[in-house]
Amino acid sequence: MTSDRTESTKASDNLAIQTFNLTKIFNGLVAVDSIELNIKKGELFALLGPNGAGKTTTIKMLCCLLKPTGGTATVMGYDINQQPFKIKEIIGVSPQETTISEHLNAQEHLNLIGRIHNINAKELRNRSQELLETMGLAERAKDQVRKFSGGMMRRLNIMMALIHNPEVLFLDEPTLGLDPQARRAIWEYIVQLKGEKTILLTTHYMDEADFLSDRIGIMDKGKIVALGTSSELKTSMLGKHTMIIYAWNLTQKVINEMRGKYDEVRVSDGTMMISDKQLDFKEVVDHLHSSGAVIRSAYIKEPTLDDVFLRITGKELRE
Amino acid sequence: MRFLELANRNLKETYRDPLALGFLLGFPLVFMLLFVAIFSGDTISSYPIGVIDDDNTPLSQAFIDEALAEVPALEVSNYDNTVTAMEDLKFGDLTAYVVIPQGFGEQISRNWQGEEADITLQMTYDESDLMLSEQLISIMNVVTRSFARIEIPITINANPIHIETEITYADFMGPGIIVFGILILIPTSARIMVRDKEKGFLARLLTTPTKPVEFILGYSLCLVAVAIAQIIIFMVGAWSLGMAIVGSLWLAFLIFFLTSLCSIGIGMVVASLSKSENQAEPLCWLFAMPLAMLSGCWFSIEMLPSYLRAIANAFPYAHTIGASRAVLIRGVGLEAISSDLLFLVGWAVVIFAIGVILFRRSMRS
Repeated sequence: MTSDRTESTKASDNLAIQTFNLTKIFNGLVAVDSIELNIKKGELFALLGPNGAGKTTTIKMLCCLLKPTGGTATVMGYDINQQPFKIKEIIGVSPQETTISEHLNAQEHLNLIGRIHNINAKELRNRSQELLETMGLAERAKDQVRKFSGGMMRRLNIMMALIHNPEVLFLDEPTLGLDPQARRAIWEYIVQLKGEKTILLTTHYMDEADFLSDRIGIMDKGKIVALGTSSELKTSMLGKHTMIIYAWNLTQKVINEMRGKYDEVRVSDGTMMISDKQLDFKEVVDHLHSSGAVIRSAYIKEPTLDDVFLRITGKELRE
Repeated sequence: MRFLELANRNLKETYRDPLALGFLLGFPLVFMLLFVAIFSGDTISSYPIGVIDDDNTPLSQAFIDEALAEVPALEVSNYDNTVTAMEDLKFGDLTAYVVIPQGFGEQISRNWQGEEADITLQMTYDESDLMLSEQLISIMNVVTRSFARIEIPITINANPIHIETEITYADFMGPGIIVFGILILIPTSARIMVRDKEKGFLARLLTTPTKPVEFILGYSLCLVAVAIAQIIIFMVGAWSLGMAIVGSLWLAFLIFFLTSLCSIGIGMVVASLSKSENQAEPLCWLFAMPLAMLSGCWFSIEMLPSYLRAIANAFPYAHTIGASRAVLIRGVGLEAISSDLLFLVGWAVVIFAIGVILFRRSMRS
């Protein structure tokens, strides 16, 4: 199997996915803008970005569903333009839309995908049993899936991507539109897979990317605008601290004083937000207190990926 | 075998959906029953016709006494000359009269000896009722043909207008209705495939190593099963409607089966070209409806202008109607319809090839 993979250098041997100027243009609209991405084997990489950032288009190109307009990519050494069927043998894909066959039961879905991948009967039985149990669908295995809840369908969607034990897993918005409980259940399962498989996940939930991924690529308008681990992104990209104060009696005078002292001060409805590289909690509180403001609460806010996104792109992650 | 797995899935998806199944099997059934109801019972009453035997041979006598008199739809009375017959026709006592010309017996006996001799009958009728005249001519045609034991069309010199039709009304309608049913397989096929496309299930399967040919085979196998069930319903329906079945049922089935493959192929091509059910559905009817008219499902295409007939003949369905009528009603064998069969096979092969090519192209936009 390894013999016909494209020649690769030593350095790229431990890479599962590599993109080279990967570009997709739809009728003049640049959906993916020459992205360069290296994802290591066994890594869980999250593409984070708002709707329309180009995440799904990127995944579709890597799954050989879309032909790139320019550039190329390799998945486990196979070229997406030259060897699509080789890639399709070793990947598992959970598409963004819950794509199920209404009148089949859960077991039949797994059998279908398993048999298409020529998994032998015994392995298929064992794996589907195991998946049904870990994903909590064992009792509903024989029910037609049109009776399933949204969460159950999403879980089945992911199971179908896993049944043939793929080397690389693509999860496109795995928890889109699910309630917090169902999201947790799916997160827990994905965490179990970490290290075992290379996973490329897209999401527009920053907490999802934060919780699950080894590395995050923030995507906006078809470009990867930031790349790193969650903490790298938060600290090195920002390098600033933010303090939030709820207070009564904030006079224009004290607001102006604060604006003179710190980089960024914003006030609305009795809430003051102060950002700066250096921020002393006590100093701020004392200053406000001495100017007659009545402080109800004050805290240092940890930066979130949302802040990172806002800082880089100038807009909120969720519109 | 991947395509078998896909076919299995497609079948399950079809027969487990009561609505889809109801449409696929119930629609042809209701359709047939409706036609049975319309064309059975008292609708076809008997027509009084006059016969003038100018030939006056034992054969012409036998033709009148044994062949014509046996037809339930005809009330035969003998006339000596055309003058009295014409009078009765004008008064409405007769719907038509037939003149058996001299030499009729000789022509028949030559046919019995294996020669292909033209047979001529003269028929005069009231032209105001076109439907009636067409039925009469077709009845005459069938009776004469079976009497002469020939497959070639016979000549009926109809007066005042000459209309070449072939068969009785029920016989005429039977194959047409079946072919109409097969035409409806076009939207059915497209729907099954395009629904997977619309719901994204196809895209999911496209991330597996399944090849375009396997997809097409997977869908077609499922649809072939549907087609076979439908053909059986249609044939049983047409038979109970009173369609004569003279020739080989298997041969007729083969003709209908090959035609179904063409319908399935057209459906797949349409599905490959459309993104959603909303796009595919009208596109399919755009094919099916005009083809039903042009191919002769409801009326003979002999009266069509030649350019329309050329269009009709470029598609399988006119051939199907011609060939299946020849088999079912005239009892012809494989040889007589081999060119039609070859045409159908060729058509099926070409449309499936186009389907695979289009599917491959749409696989990776």
